[in-house]
Amino acid sequence: MQMQPSGPDRKSRRTVAATITAVLAPATVLAGVFLLGDRKYYFVSLLMVLYALILFGLAFERRRPQARELVIAAVLTALSVAGRSAFFMLPQFKPVAAIVIIAGVCMGGETGFLVGALTGFISGFLFGQGPWTPWQMLCFGGIGLLAGALVRQGILRRDRLSLCIYGGLSTFLLYGGVMDLASVLMTFPRLTWQALLASYAAGLWFNLVHALSTVFFLFVLSKPMIEKLDRIKVKYGLMEP
Amino acid sequence: MRDAFSSYHPTVNLAYFAGIILLSMLLLHPYFLVFSFLGGLAYFLRLRGRGALRFCFLFLLPLMAAAAVLNPLFNHAGVTILAYLPDGNPVTLESICYGAAAAGMFGAVLLWFACCGDVMTSDKWIYLFGRIFPAQSLLLSMALRFIPRYQMQAGVISRSQACLGRGATGKGILRKARGGLRILSILTTWALENAIETADSMKARGYGLPGRTSFSLFRFDGRDRIVFFILMGLAAAAFWGLAAGAAGIRFFPSIHLPETTPSVVAIRILYPVLCFLPLILDAAEELQWTYIRSRL
Repeated sequence: MQMQPSGPDRKSRRTVAATITAVLAPATVLAGVFLLGDRKYYFVSLLMVLYALILFGLAFERRRPQARELVIAAVLTALSVAGRSAFFMLPQFKPVAAIVIIAGVCMGGETGFLVGALTGFISGFLFGQGPWTPWQMLCFGGIGLLAGALVRQGILRRDRLSLCIYGGLSTFLLYGGVMDLASVLMTFPRLTWQALLASYAAGLWFNLVHALSTVFFLFVLSKPMIEKLDRIKVKYGLMEP
Repeated sequence: MRDAFSSYHPTVNLAYFAGIILLSMLLLHPYFLVFSFLGGLAYFLRLRGRGALRFCFLFLLPLMAAAAVLNPLFNHAGVTILAYLPDGNPVTLESICYGAAAAGMFGAVLLWFACCGDVMTSDKWIYLFGRIFPAQSLLLSMALRFIPRYQMQAGVISRSQACLGRGATGKGILRKARGGLRILSILTTWALENAIETADSMKARGYGLPGRTSFSLFRFDGRDRIVFFILMGLAAAAFWGLAAGAAGIRFFPSIHLPETTPSVVAIRILYPVLCFLPLILDAAEELQWTYIRSRL
């Protein structure tokens, strides 16, 4: 049975999306350039990240996701948050990126993004929210989205080796690169090469451990997890990506 | 004891934190920084009690020190040159001042975020965003529910495995790791099967059909309305001051403070009120309570 969306919510959602793209985003850039002075780079980028998250969320709602799809995404999110808290004593040694990549590969990039972004948000409840939360949401989400998109395009294969390579590279470059950039924007008045390089140098070890842990978890988890998710998809005839 | 501000409507809570976090990120003038920082610190101490001190010393102070030290080392803008680094780049007075301001700002923002995390519990987020993001709010609340449930189920699986003589306890790291992975594997299969059952049950009960209502404990009453308007007024004044340049500060190329005009003075009086609003509300409630009790 097809579900009928309720009218006012749908309309207000469309209004919000239109307002963000047409009014808020350009206004933010202009206000940043003319009013903010030393803080403009951080601000404009932070607000853009928030807009991107909101727009993605609205696009997902517009699709009217089915109950099964939602519950599977919730299961993967819960597993990745639980995995993150299971390894809380080892900094940066986390299975989150690995599970997000598996979600993206099996369930499509959209679910991958959702699992990543929600993991970022929920871990904030467990480990403390901070100015990094939106960036973390975007980075983990982006890793999942890219994994799904690459598999769909046939560029990324679903075997262990290519997933490990993708996992290591994306965690190191995408997550590490963007998070370090965010910390530079937060503490310095403007982006300079020296500050950026210093931040990458300081974060190198952490990013390396994070990337290696993602490779490790993908090596161990990717095959059984993908098998399980595929089995569920075949058994219950879930969405074919 | 719970503080008074946490019991206000989620809209008031979120509006307050969004406003105060934005303002403490933007107002780098030392006067405003001091109040953003002290307000955040005082409220955080009120919320966490003694546990807050550990957060401050182990986490906050090192980060602030790093921000203060790194700025003059890597930022060479500014006209007042104090010394030269070994690599030939100048250390400027302006970048040292900016570093100190950035450290204060960073500390204030982290404190306010920590307060926000304590006050804005997940049920408040779900209540606020349930209408515009219904599916994702449901997802959030399901995932939050699943985490303790999986922990419990992992215990059940682990005990039943131990009965079969395949427990994760025992000697040897390899044996433990293999046992742990087996538990994870069983848990994942169980979780996925269980999820399908949950989804079918949701569908059978009419998930996604129009005309459903949802339950919440929150009501926007008179007290919320009053605080909301006060809050909006204070924040609007601060943003206006920022836009008019009265509350700002320019660091580069040389430090420039705004002149003292009546509007600057007004904003300087109003901003501390905004920073200490949760504590003021708390104190007011305490006073009211004492007053009511004294009349009995």
